[in-house]
Amino acid sequence: MDIGDSPDEAAFRLEARTWLEQHAKRRDPSARHRPASTDAEQDAHAKACQDWQRVLYAGGWAGLTWPKQFGGRGGKPWQAAIFAEEQSKFDVSTGVFSVAHGMVAPTLMMHGDDRQRGHLDAMLRGDEVWAQLFSEPEAGSDLANLGTRAVLDGDQWVVNGQKVWTSGAQHSQYAILLARTDPDAPKHAGITYFIVDMRSPGIEVRPLRQITGVAHFNEVFLTDVRIPVENVVGEVNAGWKIAHTTLSNERALIGGSGGNAFTVPELIEMARRYHRTDDPVVRQGLAQAHIRAEILKYMGYGVRTSISRGVMPGPGASVMKLFFARHWAAVGSLAVAIEGAAGMLWGDSASDDGLWQQVFCQQYAIRIGGGTDEIQGNVIGERALGLPREPSLDRDLPWRETRGTKA
Amino acid sequence: MNFDLSDEQNVVKDLAQQIFEGHAPVERVKDIERNHGGFDEALWRELAKANLLGLCLPEALGGSGYGLVELCLLLEQQGRRVAPVPLWATVVLGALPIAEFGTDEQRALLEGVISGDVRLTAALSETGADEALRPSVVATRTATGWHLHGFKPTVPAAQFAQRVLVPARQEASAGDGPIGIFLVDPTAAGVTVEPVSATSNQPFAHLTLDVDVAAGDRLGGADADGEAQLRWLLERALVGLCALQLGVCTAAIEQTAAYTSTRTQFGKPLSTFQGVAHQAADAFILTEPMRVTMLQAAWRLMHGLSSRQEVLIAKYWASEGGQKVVHLCQHLHGGMGSDIDYPIHRYFLWGVQNETTLGAGSVQLARLGTLIASDAVGAAS
Repeated sequence: MDIGDSPDEAAFRLEARTWLEQHAKRRDPSARHRPASTDAEQDAHAKACQDWQRVLYAGGWAGLTWPKQFGGRGGKPWQAAIFAEEQSKFDVSTGVFSVAHGMVAPTLMMHGDDRQRGHLDAMLRGDEVWAQLFSEPEAGSDLANLGTRAVLDGDQWVVNGQKVWTSGAQHSQYAILLARTDPDAPKHAGITYFIVDMRSPGIEVRPLRQITGVAHFNEVFLTDVRIPVENVVGEVNAGWKIAHTTLSNERALIGGSGGNAFTVPELIEMARRYHRTDDPVVRQGLAQAHIRAEILKYMGYGVRTSISRGVMPGPGASVMKLFFARHWAAVGSLAVAIEGAAGMLWGDSASDDGLWQQVFCQQYAIRIGGGTDEIQGNVIGERALGLPREPSLDRDLPWRETRGTKA
Repeated sequence: MNFDLSDEQNVVKDLAQQIFEGHAPVERVKDIERNHGGFDEALWRELAKANLLGLCLPEALGGSGYGLVELCLLLEQQGRRVAPVPLWATVVLGALPIAEFGTDEQRALLEGVISGDVRLTAALSETGADEALRPSVVATRTATGWHLHGFKPTVPAAQFAQRVLVPARQEASAGDGPIGIFLVDPTAAGVTVEPVSATSNQPFAHLTLDVDVAAGDRLGGADADGEAQLRWLLERALVGLCALQLGVCTAAIEQTAAYTSTRTQFGKPLSTFQGVAHQAADAFILTEPMRVTMLQAAWRLMHGLSSRQEVLIAKYWASEGGQKVVHLCQHLHGGMGSDIDYPIHRYFLWGVQNETTLGAGSVQLARLGTLIASDAVGAAS
């Protein structure tokens, strides 16, 4: 067991920091970090992410733990942890590639064929942004109930249906897609996992304006979208298990994304500006936030270790995701409370350009997206504690029949 | 940056697990609590035979020379079985500071600790506000050493100890004098040991001191910095409690998962109700941070790194998270929770004991808040 910086780690940290100093601007804790809200700001953010990803790739820092055969550096998880820690101190982001790097890539490494894995290098180069076409209006927590249909026509699948809560669809060149290919099988057994080109005819993206004022999510309508058969990942009708790999990595991704939107020192800095740090109750709230951020850091080491070994992060990812969601919610509430009456202001009228109000309102996206708090609770109960599954009425029935009774 | 245990650490853990599982079955624990004052001497002998009492004591004295992380793995296993032995008192509160600061004469006591013949403890708690760094016992100079005068409440296992480390304020001509830690023989004339009952059924005693001690019984000799010794001791005492608490909580959750998965109501296991399963999952989520924060603090202390924040974080979580876990597990056992023939109540009581000892969560949180956010101290690193 080793938790501090060993000489190797210290040397790597210095190398990373030196390179970052040369290529990026340090993040100023007192500066404003409101997430991009308008379409123009979001486009600019996506472009900045792409530019930074290209700099990372050119410098040999992209895909630190990815195997060399996929264009990565073949490094150790501790290196990725140290680099992420150092990078978070700079004013850069790779956020637009979250789905590609954090969810699609681990899935394709594990389940994709050689041609499909060809996308990995393009993702690392910053050339491909990906989206995830999983959730539907009738398939949220019960994702396996999804009804988007794919029907084989010669050497192409023809897809019709609607997806929702699709992050960054407007910036994506590709997406992963779950569609029903056998409606007569039980719901988990008739789903296929596809790669779809987002520029295909028949795809329409409609942004959803959220409570935060940002249109991060979209609805995506698919009408007679044609997908070549070679874009099926794994076997036809065996997509559910592959989706698990993606979902497990999504939890780890969300749970490990601390520091992207705000840091605890920034929260303390804000409290200081409001002259609230002499209030012991406020100080204790800040201390709790600091404690949770430290715990997330430690838990991240373990989850990152399993991902880099090519194994599913398991219930640890659910623990982290749920813990992170609670941390985020508590920080949002604390921040707004610290600001007092000014906590009710919004956007340009609020301090820090409304960053803390954004954090406060964003808590529900964090708690619901990537599997709700309750779904994570189920995963922990079943996989960490070995509790029996909750009896399910529709698990073994043909999907078409269960859908029929609901309609 | 790796929380996986090394092969050697796994050997320590497995050995400890084997001994506690083999020698602290529920019926035995019950018997020791009811009829033997909460101290299982036979189990203590077994720990000595396996050289676990000397696990982290110097090899020169017959110990195994391991560090605080390994000691915490041992305490975690004790917590899992809520085994009635004064391990935390003897090794963490007594033997560690003597090994670190003691004179040669004082360190000679450790051979007895390793063999299982000598038990130690420290009188850290104060009446009322639990501020161990401001001891109320007063030490006055005498011709041959010191005279200690004062009262110390709830000293763990003092009735089974051969020596008690007593921090005292040395009387100065003006104002507060320095702190000294004194090795006191509780059987000496002028020391009253009054055993008291505790909810957790663990042994405690109040100590009343009106006693002369020799000059050579001041820890580390006449000029040692008693306050630094006390801070050093308190940090390790807190982390040791975190390790015990981790064991208590992990075992309580496992027992709760097993119980709710076999207890049937409405024709199905209780744990298939989300209202039950999610409470069990919450207990699990509270326990994982206990493990990583305890290991982080123990590892940093063992390597001599600054650990003030890490210790506060670990004890905060062990207290605050720990008490929630044992409450959840107690509740999920329904009526069985209050049946003292059923084992789960013991985890509840130990969990609350560990929570409050040397300061509950609110105390640690207030200290950390001052450390990271008071204007005088400056921003967190």
